[in-house]
Formats: sequence, C-alpha cells, structure tokens
Amino acid sequence: MLRDMGIRREASTLGDGELRALRAAFARAYGIRDERGYGYFAGLHGLPLPNECPHNRPLFLPWHRAYLYLFERALQDLEPGADLPWWDWTTARSHREGLPAAYRRDPGRINRNPLSTGPVTLSAADLERFRDEPINQGALSDGPAPWTLRDPDNPDELPRAATIRRALDAPTFGDFTSLVEGMHNSVHGWVGGAMTLISVAAYDPIFWTHHAMIDRVWYLWQIGPRGRPPPEHLLDQALTPFPMTVRDTLSLTRLGYGYAVDVAG
Amino acid sequence: MADFDATTVSTETMTRTATLRYAGGAAFTRADLVFLDVDHGHSSYEVRVFVNNPAAHAGTGRTEAEGYAGRFHVFGHGGCFGDVGHCDVPPPSTDPTDLRPAHQLTPLSTYLTVTAPLNHLLAGGAALETVTMLAITLPPRLADRAPTLDFFLFSSVDLRTYHTPETPS
Repeated sequence: MLRDMGIRREASTLGDGELRALRAAFARAYGIRDERGYGYFAGLHGLPLPNECPHNRPLFLPWHRAYLYLFERALQDLEPGADLPWWDWTTARSHREGLPAAYRRDPGRINRNPLSTGPVTLSAADLERFRDEPINQGALSDGPAPWTLRDPDNPDELPRAATIRRALDAPTFGDFTSLVEGMHNSVHGWVGGAMTLISVAAYDPIFWTHHAMIDRVWYLWQIGPRGRPPPEHLLDQALTPFPMTVRDTLSLTRLGYGYAVDVAG
Repeated sequence: MADFDATTVSTETMTRTATLRYAGGAAFTRADLVFLDVDHGHSSYEVRVFVNNPAAHAGTGRTEAEGYAGRFHVFGHGGCFGDVGHCDVPPPSTDPTDLRPAHQLTPLSTYLTVTAPLNHLLAGGAALETVTMLAITLPPRLADRAPTLDFFLFSSVDLRTYHTPETPS
C-alpha cells in the first residue's frame, strides 16, 4: 500500500509533534547496531571503509538523494512521521542564530537532545587511526565511545540566498552540481567539528538536515526553467551500495516525499 | 595557463601567486578561473582568491577594492585510514572494460567565476596580471584555522571566458 507523501519541512518550522517524532527516531536509531541503525548509515559516508560517497563527481547529488531517502525510510520504520527536515542556512534567522534551535544542545549541564550530537560507533582500530591524524583533533569527544563535536563559525558566514539564485541559474547539470557542491562544502566547514571531515561528517545529525537542503535546491533546479535531467550516460549508473540508479532518484513523487517550494513569514 | 610549479610562494603571507595575464579580448559574459587536479586528501580548507594583489594576506578585506575575487571550499577526507597503498591514486584507466569508479582521492577540478572582478579591472583600464591564492584550513576546531601552504596543491590554474548571447524574450 502506498503511504502518504512525506513532506520535508524547514528545520525551524517543525511543530512539537514533528520534532518529537524526529528526536525519538534518532534516539532509537542510535541504539541499533545492525543495518537499520544510525552507525550503519553514518558509516557509509566515510569510516569505516570503504568510503562510498562520490564527492567532486557528477554522482554527488543523486548519490546523496538515495542516501537520505534510505536513511529517512529507516527512521520512519522506527517512528512514523519522522520526516527529515531541511536547514535553510540562507535565511535571516540562520545568519543571525546559526544552527537551527532544534539541533542545538540543551542549555544546562545535561544535554538530552539527540539531534545535537551523534554516537560514533567505530572500531578501536579505526578510532586509533582517526585520532592519530593531528588535523582531526576536535572532531570527536574523547574515550572509546565518542560523540560528534561542533565548533560553528560566525552565522553571517553561511551561504546567502544570492548564491542559491546563481546556482539555480546554472545552465547544465554539471555546472549546477559544481556550484551546489561548493556551497555544501562551505557549510560543512562552517559547522566545524566532525562535519569538517568526509570520514566522520555523517555521524553528526546536522549532516542530514544540511543535505536535505542541498537535495531541496536540486529539486528547485529540477522544476525551474533551467532544470534538466543528468546526462544520458549517467542515468543507468548504480549508486553503490544502494539498490538504485541515478534514474531512480529523479522523481520525488516516485520516492514518496516532497518539499515546500517557498516559505513565507 | 599557470602551472603550480611556476607559482610564487610567499611564506610571509602564506600565499601562492600565479602570473596570469589577460588584457581583454573577445566579448565575454562569464569568466572562470579553473583549477585542475586539486588535492582533497587532508583537512578541509577554504581558498580566497585575489586578482592583482600579490600582497594579500589573511587580514586583507574581502572587497573589490582589495582585488578580492571570491572563494571556494574543499571538503577534505581527513587523512588515510586504509592499509599501505590504500590512498595511492592510480593513473586514470584507459581500459574501456574497466568499469570501476575513480579512486576516492582522485584530484578534483573546480572553478571560481570571476566575471565581475575581471570586468572591474578591465573597465578601469587595467589588465589581469596576477592571481593570488590564500588557503586557510577548516579543521574541526575554529581556533585552529590558519593559512596553509600544505593542503592546496593543484596542477594548474587558467582563465576561461565564455560568451552566451542574450536570448530574445
């Protein structure tokens, strides 16, 4: 039976029930060690090897769309109504406050917000290799079962709406991908901590809402005047390790979710 | 085109400057600086680009008056986590039956659109002379950010201009 279309909402507009479902789904996923759990999905992006994500390649957008789709489905198996939100880092609010409130640490000594940090379920050997690199200091907390850290930059350094508009004006899929991936890179660097590194970025819950924004921008380009499918030779390429090709990612209706096109007020 | 090996390094400002002369020519509607074979194996980093300002440094304002032309960001892998040889990038395969994807650390190509700053130079009667690149690390800790000459490795940078005629509406 077809389920109702899921609507991904902007992270600052989530209602209490939506936020409760999302937090419950993440918290439950953290406790599952098999291929339904958080560690499995986060690990597909970097560590443990193999590193599957195709950055700096034309498959960047389709691969991450498949990635989010399968992760969101896994969350919804745990908690119906757990739709992935998108974080619009171009809004005045984001340029004033930075991270969406739903993803910040609880004030006070005890943090109970599962969206503010994620567990990093790497083997002792992988953790040792990761920590042996001095440039990775500050990405993860100490100890054998670390959690992700952040160290955000000045909010006004986040990408601006004008940059999105330039991307939406891109005449080809390759041009568009390159512009969007550049914006994407800058936000990874802006968040700091684990998000600055391909190897562990996906363990931070903000990763998914950042990528939902990227996915939404692709959707806006697809339905806009410049939008067109990826080049023919890409369409039947597999998006390893997912059971999907590029062609399978092109219709959000087929994937059962959608985005608000505009948010006013 | 300016090769990486032909760039001038300043250890004082931690910048790399390429000589890239362009005094204008055919009309263009877009101009890109294209960087080939950029390394992305280490920390993430940002590259700020200045035209005709070889003295630019980390404190230089990101303004047109200072020759600031824009910036781009590289998302780094954070090191090599495999066994010996895992991060050695093989040369591109010429075997048409080799369907394997490229190695994850295959250097990337990227570009920075510099239409407005180039037009600004040319409109003022100047020519493009130099492109100065300042790479700043984006490590996990904000306080650890610093200019670097180590991470931003590439094979060449060149300027490409394009002309797209207006489509009648």
